[in-house]
Amino acid sequence: MDEIVKGLSISQGIALGVAFHFIIPEELIPEQIISSHEIEQEIERYRKALEKSRRELEDLQKLVLQKGSFEAASILDTHLEMLKDPMITTEMEKKIRKNQKNTESVFQKVIGEYQRHFNENHDTFFQERIPDITDVSKRILAHLIPSKKFDLKQIPKGSILYATDLSPSLVAEIDPEQIIGLVTEAGGISSHAAIIARAKGIPYVAGVPIDKLKNRSPLKMIIDGDEGIILLAPTDETWENYERKSKKKKAYYQTLQKNADLQPHTIDGEEIELYGNLENLSEIDPFIKQGFAGIGLFRSEYLFFTKKYFPSEEEQFQIYKEVLEKLPSHPVIIRVFDVGGEKRLEGGKTGEANPVLGCRAIRFLLKNREIFEQQLRALLRASPYGDIRILLPMISDISEINATKELIEKIRQDLKKENIPCKDHIPLGSMIEVPSSAIMADVIAQHSDFLSIGTNDLIQYVLAADRSNPVISHLYTPSHPSILRLLKVIITAAKENQKNLILCGEVAADPRYIPLLLEVGIRKFSIAARHFPEVKNAIRNVDLKEKKKSPPARITR
Amino acid sequence: MKLIRTVKVKNDLGLHTRPATVIVKMLQSYKSSVHFTYKKDIINARSIMSILMLALRKNASIQITVEGDDAEETISALVNAFENQFWEKL
Repeated sequence: MDEIVKGLSISQGIALGVAFHFIIPEELIPEQIISSHEIEQEIERYRKALEKSRRELEDLQKLVLQKGSFEAASILDTHLEMLKDPMITTEMEKKIRKNQKNTESVFQKVIGEYQRHFNENHDTFFQERIPDITDVSKRILAHLIPSKKFDLKQIPKGSILYATDLSPSLVAEIDPEQIIGLVTEAGGISSHAAIIARAKGIPYVAGVPIDKLKNRSPLKMIIDGDEGIILLAPTDETWENYERKSKKKKAYYQTLQKNADLQPHTIDGEEIELYGNLENLSEIDPFIKQGFAGIGLFRSEYLFFTKKYFPSEEEQFQIYKEVLEKLPSHPVIIRVFDVGGEKRLEGGKTGEANPVLGCRAIRFLLKNREIFEQQLRALLRASPYGDIRILLPMISDISEINATKELIEKIRQDLKKENIPCKDHIPLGSMIEVPSSAIMADVIAQHSDFLSIGTNDLIQYVLAADRSNPVISHLYTPSHPSILRLLKVIITAAKENQKNLILCGEVAADPRYIPLLLEVGIRKFSIAARHFPEVKNAIRNVDLKEKKKSPPARITR
Repeated sequence: MKLIRTVKVKNDLGLHTRPATVIVKMLQSYKSSVHFTYKKDIINARSIMSILMLALRKNASIQITVEGDDAEETISALVNAFENQFWEKL
């Protein structure tokens, strides 16, 4: 019989391997007296430990940013600030001088006092800050006492690691070829270690009492991250079943991958451009592999939802720059914060009776200049690093485009004065998702460098039907003649003004609608990475010449 | 120049790690010295650990003391950040 232990699914995937108990030995820190002529040396040693910790955290932050884990990156930001804290820097140095003791022992006392302070005086909420402090102090200590560092390379290949808890930096260091799964007793879905495990694609189950695994090596085990279970000492049958399951998954991905290498053109040879919707920085590589035309929609607000506050100009600049550096020869269309309405940063109430018709997207940004200026400044500063393009959501009137242009011009002048490089011209596009701008598409096109159709909102506004309302969702019909007519109007406006036009929205990712959209004249789509193979397949099965022979009956239905 | 203002913590979760990080990062672009006074404690606002140690809950009232050449800009930026709940709610 298989011994199944139910836990909490932290990171999906299946792995078959041998259990490895991971323990970091706790070391006692001896107190030593330092003679006065050695003090400066001791302080220098401490500074070096801080410097190493800082570099380590910065590397780790870069890594999690690459993987798109913004939540983890923002927590590491706090850790970096802690390293700069006067209590850790100047105060500590003063204490080493005063006490004339070795740094480790002084440091531990300081941290100990700090932890006691939290434990004694305050409620549980602030006590939850302790792990952050402990994490930072352990990192610094590891650089003061080199033996504390555990060498992961000692662990045999194909191991499933189990431990009471795992630190984020440890998970970040793991090579997924060597350590193929993680099991812990502590840890939740939003712990730092969890975020990094998901980013690296390592199956991870938490909430498993590790006593069940202890002293049983060598123990064969299976970790099923999809179900959140582990199977101990599985029967040969179970092992083979899981092996098959795991192989099947891999084979499925390979088939999709084959499809992804093909070019997106129709049977009669019409070239179609597929752009990517970027929601996560880790998607950039799959996009490149699948031969995309560029980033068609970078929903800047999605990257920051986990932050719960608007990121600083610097934070934004770093992220935009990173995307551009990864894609130096592709257009990258960044849509400015589309917040307000239902997409509040913290899901809070807006107090508006009708938020979807309220102060959201460009309206919100023009009312909250500081936030808008910060974002535009970050975008302009990032512009020298690639082909950046700015997209304005929910444009309903050209006055909004003009106001933005003025703002951009002002920021450009500011940057010039500060000697900060910035491109002379950054294409500015308008999102057509409000009926007024669809009807006035020719005028909007004259004032924009490119257009982008947001079908999700456009359909709901034109048909006055909320698709999330089950009673009327049947009215939400993407192929309704009114929608197709409007699409025609927008396509004609873009063509006559020689402006690029990209279609975004769920319709673009639905293979059923692709033939129809191609027929009305859409040639550029922006979709998520996972939809590429299917949409490509749909495009490659359309013959536009064949379609032209029959009249476009659907539009006048 | 020395300026003193009293502000209230408006964030539901109090002045926890994220707002504290915002404060410390924000102050890096100003030169003035900044202190928070809460009950009997006076702390350096450039120290994230000291801010966290105050364990300020929602509605806690603190005094900001800013001293330096750019005191005015510093204090208005800080007050604005408290007012806007450190942009957590937007």
